[in-house]
Amino acid sequence: MRWRTPQRWLVPGLCLLLMGCDGREMEVERTVDISYNCAANAAEIRALEEEIPSFTARTGIRIVLNPFTGQEKLYAMIAADQAPDIFYTNTIIRDRFAAEGRILNLQEVARSDSFLLRLLPGIVEEGSAADGGWYSLSNWSYTCGIYYDRDAFRAAGLPLPDTAWTWREMRRAARKLTRDMNGDGTPDRYGIYIPSHFVEALEVMNGAQVGRGALCVSIPDASADVYGKYIALMEDGLMPDLRRMQALGMQPMQMLQNGRVAMLVEAVPHQGLFEMKGVDLGIAPLPRFGNRPPRYFRSGSGGLSISSSTDHPREAWEALKWIVGSASIFQPNPVLADRDFVAGWEQRYPHLAETGFREVWELSLLHNGGDARFFVRFSSWTAPAVLERLQPKLDQLWSRQITVADLREAVPQMNHNVGRALHDALGQENLLPAFRTVINRQLEEFTRGACD
Amino acid sequence: MDRRPGRPPANVRTLARSGSLYFILAGCSILFLAPVVWMISASLQDQQGVFATPYAWIPEAPRWDNYATVTTMFPFWRYVGNTLIITISVTVGTLLSCSLVAYGFARLRFPGRNLLFALCLSTMMLPGQVTMIPLYVMFARVGWVDTFLPLIVPSLFGTPFYIFLLRQFFLTIPREFDEAALLDGAGHLRIYWSIVLPLARPALATVALFTFVGAWNDFFGPLIYINSPENATLTLGLNMLKAQIAGTGVVEWQVLMAGALLVMLPNVVVFLLAQRHFVKGLAIGGLRG
Repeated sequence: MRWRTPQRWLVPGLCLLLMGCDGREMEVERTVDISYNCAANAAEIRALEEEIPSFTARTGIRIVLNPFTGQEKLYAMIAADQAPDIFYTNTIIRDRFAAEGRILNLQEVARSDSFLLRLLPGIVEEGSAADGGWYSLSNWSYTCGIYYDRDAFRAAGLPLPDTAWTWREMRRAARKLTRDMNGDGTPDRYGIYIPSHFVEALEVMNGAQVGRGALCVSIPDASADVYGKYIALMEDGLMPDLRRMQALGMQPMQMLQNGRVAMLVEAVPHQGLFEMKGVDLGIAPLPRFGNRPPRYFRSGSGGLSISSSTDHPREAWEALKWIVGSASIFQPNPVLADRDFVAGWEQRYPHLAETGFREVWELSLLHNGGDARFFVRFSSWTAPAVLERLQPKLDQLWSRQITVADLREAVPQMNHNVGRALHDALGQENLLPAFRTVINRQLEEFTRGACD
Repeated sequence: MDRRPGRPPANVRTLARSGSLYFILAGCSILFLAPVVWMISASLQDQQGVFATPYAWIPEAPRWDNYATVTTMFPFWRYVGNTLIITISVTVGTLLSCSLVAYGFARLRFPGRNLLFALCLSTMMLPGQVTMIPLYVMFARVGWVDTFLPLIVPSLFGTPFYIFLLRQFFLTIPREFDEAALLDGAGHLRIYWSIVLPLARPALATVALFTFVGAWNDFFGPLIYINSPENATLTLGLNMLKAQIAGTGVVEWQVLMAGALLVMLPNVVVFLLAQRHFVKGLAIGGLRG
């Protein structure tokens, strides 16, 4: 067949056009999917889903939400080599995943990124593992303080707490605020409630020093002193007995809301308490212990990590930055130094301006005592071995089945498993060399009697 | 009839016996019903009322709108649809597969039957946690994660406990029926379908009820296998009502309870419908060895 001239050009031209659409061109404009296993409620998911398209339009990165989280789910996904690109890790899991090479060292993907300058000092350190690498970006940060009912203080003729109040003043206030209206011997309103997981914040305030990554349990005098004071609150009827709290089945927040307590130690910020109605809310810092310099509790509360199996580490980092730095459900975010976090929250909850929230927050930045809570108190490898013995003992202590002296006597027994836990950790085949070195060093310390 | 002096008459004794029995039963019922009653009551409270002390079991101004609210907080009706698809498929699949396997164990004679039956039962000893990761890996390899298939397909391969229950029931059906059918030229599938299954309705109702309730309430399976919000089930939806921002948000318990009650309703309806068969099936299946 003889082609006429137009056809001679038309057919190859069409072929070229089709070749141009064979996907190579599309690849440049194709969006990259980054899966994000996020713990979020329905409203938060909706908010994220509304914001993601504009982020995608700007960056070509589409964040695919998977809001159903759980440790088992995460392990199963990792085992199937289908780990989400971004997921939450707490300190213990983070170190283990880092040691097994399951999460990326963010230093490698975030090198010289100006975003790092936007973070509060210490945030990178909070996400660091034993090898010195940075494996998670905290998506939240908090301190703790005492939420109190200002009306109750006024009615009892008490001055409102100031930022330098002491344990003694707090205790005196708790005594005046405790009321037994019907005279049945059980207070209708207790002066204060301190959930037991905040006792360590008080230990830090009292001067207890617990090194980061410490291998074993130690109960210094400062801790023992706080334990005694804590138990005395219950024995004197100023704080509800922890056993009674379990029986009531209430969340601490509800105790304050329903007038069952006049003061409550809780996380700051605490959205639930900020939204609480019917209570004229005040927030005070933790009380000081005598003349000791204040050291307020601060925690990064875990963070978001990037899976090492991701095909798009750069894009995952961009998505991670957007989640922490821009996604509205995390804003204003307390890990960012370049935004007035308190002002942002006061804008959302105007009544906060009167509560003392700013003072508590700023004190925690000024006198940062760090986080001595269980999950960073011990090395990632020894924590479970230690905690399985410590936690039941603490429960016994709070219910006064044992004394502080008994607890201290039990410490060597608690530390007994530390060496074995380290041995077990070394037995893991997929341990990265840097972590193997760290664990070997810890084992040597243990053998030399570091826990004795 | 003689009675010993001082001993109350028989009718009085019977009355006393049944009275105390009813008293104990009523006590137990109250004990078991209390959480449900609290759930109903809490679902009609406002936020403050849920944990108020003293607690008002009957709220002064019932908040019926909690029920409407819960249907708007997540794609409720979509999740109802997803849950129904999974539950109905699982129930039908379990009934078919378990009854077929149970028929084989009850009626067919073949070498190694008892060994196979023992093997089948022994899988009941395997905790779900042990098989969770291998199963997930398997389903991930075939690309079934984030679909309903991992939640439905396993039901097509039988469940040991139900196989056992049905086999026990099938053993109570006289073999003479089968023999008569065989003489009439029926094969095993015909006997299974036309004779055994209709006679085993109580046992099938029991299995259907257990399976329905199990699949409807299943949280862990969907949690593991479902990733996208649009594929979620009601249990995952309810879980999404819990506040998350740094764990310090507000949980609206009254809405959560309203949701839980709505989710519970189909179970109650199915139970009421199948109750008569269920009790009979359980009794017969459990007693006959």
